[in-house]
Amino acid sequence: RGGLAERLCRLQNRERSAISFWRHQCISDDNIPSDKSGVLIVRILEIFEECTIHVTICQQLEQSPDTLSPEDAVINAEEPILKVLFTRETAAHLKSRPQDVIHIYPPWQKLLLQNGDVPVIMNTYFSQKVLLSEHSEAREKTHGLTKMLIRKNIISLAQTFRLDDLDDELQRESSDNQIACAPQIHNNRDSKQHPSALSAVNDSLLEMVESQGAVGWREVQVRVVIQRVYSLPAREGCRSHIQGNKPLLSNGGMFCRLCLLVQDAYGMFSEVQLQSLSSTDDIEQYCRKWEGKFCCLAGMKILQRTTRGRALGLFSLIDSLWPPVVPVKVPGQSQDSEMMTANLPPPSFCYILTVQSGEIHVEVDEEEQISNLYQPPAVHGLKEILRIDGCNERCSFWAQVVYLRQQTKHSVPTDQREILLFVTDSTLQNVVHGIPKVVAVSVTASCVLSTEIMEALSVGSRPVFFRDALWGNGRIICVERTVLLLQKPLLCSAAGADLSELTGPVRLDELDSTTQASSICALRGTVVGVNESTAFSWPTCDRCGNGKLELCPQDRELLYCNQCSDIVTTPVLKMQLEVFLSCPSRSQSTVRVKNRMSRTVFLLTMLLFLQTYEVQSVLGKEVGLLNCYIQSLTTHPNCVALEEIVLL
Amino acid sequence: DSTLPAVAEELLREIKKAFQETSHVPDELLLGLKFIFGPCAVPALDLVDQRSVTRVRSPSGRTLYQVLGSSGKLYTCYSSCHFCTCPAFGFSVLQKSESLLCKHILAVYLSQAMGACQELSVSEEQLTNILLAEEEDEG
Repeated sequence: RGGLAERLCRLQNRERSAISFWRHQCISDDNIPSDKSGVLIVRILEIFEECTIHVTICQQLEQSPDTLSPEDAVINAEEPILKVLFTRETAAHLKSRPQDVIHIYPPWQKLLLQNGDVPVIMNTYFSQKVLLSEHSEAREKTHGLTKMLIRKNIISLAQTFRLDDLDDELQRESSDNQIACAPQIHNNRDSKQHPSALSAVNDSLLEMVESQGAVGWREVQVRVVIQRVYSLPAREGCRSHIQGNKPLLSNGGMFCRLCLLVQDAYGMFSEVQLQSLSSTDDIEQYCRKWEGKFCCLAGMKILQRTTRGRALGLFSLIDSLWPPVVPVKVPGQSQDSEMMTANLPPPSFCYILTVQSGEIHVEVDEEEQISNLYQPPAVHGLKEILRIDGCNERCSFWAQVVYLRQQTKHSVPTDQREILLFVTDSTLQNVVHGIPKVVAVSVTASCVLSTEIMEALSVGSRPVFFRDALWGNGRIICVERTVLLLQKPLLCSAAGADLSELTGPVRLDELDSTTQASSICALRGTVVGVNESTAFSWPTCDRCGNGKLELCPQDRELLYCNQCSDIVTTPVLKMQLEVFLSCPSRSQSTVRVKNRMSRTVFLLTMLLFLQTYEVQSVLGKEVGLLNCYIQSLTTHPNCVALEEIVLL
Repeated sequence: DSTLPAVAEELLREIKKAFQETSHVPDELLLGLKFIFGPCAVPALDLVDQRSVTRVRSPSGRTLYQVLGSSGKLYTCYSSCHFCTCPAFGFSVLQKSESLLCKHILAVYLSQAMGACQELSVSEEQLTNILLAEEEDEG
């Protein structure tokens, strides 16, 4: 992104040569260049100076006054007034005085000020004074000798520039304070008791957006349908300044904003960002209460107008809701005429709105029934999802988590963790061949998980509903706008999805030549070797799991745990063992299994080795159906490194 | 009443808007900066490119800006009025009224407009010390 200074330098140099070329041309031609398009013709009424800029109050003239007779050259009060700015250098070149007529050639720029004042013209480098008659030429020469006194305005230092709207600053302050408060959303009944000066309800988001800034726009209400409720991680405004390796601004917990994806009667979408939530707030209750209902938005502030190319995540969600399930209105046509939905192209832009600080102008009609426009998520079995053809498709499914792995990279802060889940359902488990038994789901840091969900994932006892996850390139990922829920949503179209419970223990695919790294599998084989140099075992405290037990000072035969401050009478033995197996299912590879578990079938098998540390005692022993996570696969040498795991 | 501050403010607002919508500042606005602010414009943009502006905040909400100049010296700019501790400000703005701002103050506005400010939180005492340090230098 860098190089703004460089860019301006280049533009400036180009401009300077254009200016000198133009001036030279004017002198040599001594005629007004014939191209009249875009030329501003002004008559100067007043001049004063501010810093080095000459500010001139001018009248814009329709045509060049040399075509008018002298009698016509009277100030016509109806001609539009402009403020034309000239640089000191241009002003010196023009030597202009009141009543002079100036031709300003393009490129010049017009700026309209916030307070609706007179328009301002700048970048007026290509300006030329027009001499009206022979007399004026003589007058010009005499005037050139006397210096004209121009009033100079001294600018006060107290006059600073305000780049934000007042509301912007207040909002920034409130988000800095990170006060998570319950949403003060009134339902319809309350609003009747507090009559607000809100005008009639509109049904077009586009109209509301386009009327921004116009008189009375704050009172305009738009009625929309809430298609989805989710939370987005709070956007980082500015990076924290790190001084001496110690960040002074720490961002401990993850703060998120409650967001709605709404759709109006014309089918247009908008994302509305509401207040901050802390990660313990339950998104689930908002989903249940609000999805599918109507709500009224008023006095929204436009945060951004985003397009498909710039917000792929948002638009993949919008695409999953397209085309609308009921006909939508077409702008410009009367309400009664037939509305057509077929062949409507999916939206290419979307406004992101936010509430003005202070009040919340969103009223959800919780009492009313679900709108016809609402499209609940289409639930599929995992088998069907794996067969989806497209890329970046949003999909929803129920699944049971069988294994969870945190991607712990020390260079990455804890709030940017990625979690790898392995999930399955009956559609995958009940099939014999052809499709995997278990699917990997990657949960990125941008997918907000409540503490309740995190617990459920770690325990793995209940099925979890994954709503609007992304499928593409053979992977399922949970990103922004994906929501994980525990309760069955009120409405969902379960198109042929087999939501039956899993019968029996979860089975994994066996290790074979098609197995990929970072997946889980089952394996069986015979022991062909043990890495003696890395094999060791150690006792751990059976109360707290502390692996650093010490010898009891009083009695050196007993073990002592510092964390529990007590003797450990029955320590749990933990072992690390690296074993080489020969697996018939993947006979070409050397299979190396690392094991750190305290109590597994495998280890009990290997106990013999650990008791005697004699490799001979375990060579040839059969090891049956271990569940493992594949850490790496290499082809040269052909080696598979696995870690034994316990399924949830 | 004056025109130039309103024009400068509007230009900076346009830059902020364009940047927020497209992450890009169009050429016309850059040239507008040059027109209004003259020789300050390019050095100010350079300071923005280098991320030289830091907003310093204290718990009570007091703020000021520190700009790392090209010479390596740190200049302080106030937020409540246009003031900078650099010599160019004293000369061009205060003495000669030739300029609205110095390149450091312009860099502060541009950094605000483009979200390029670094953030620093300090204690009340530290903020006071920064302000007093300037006074001592001048005294």
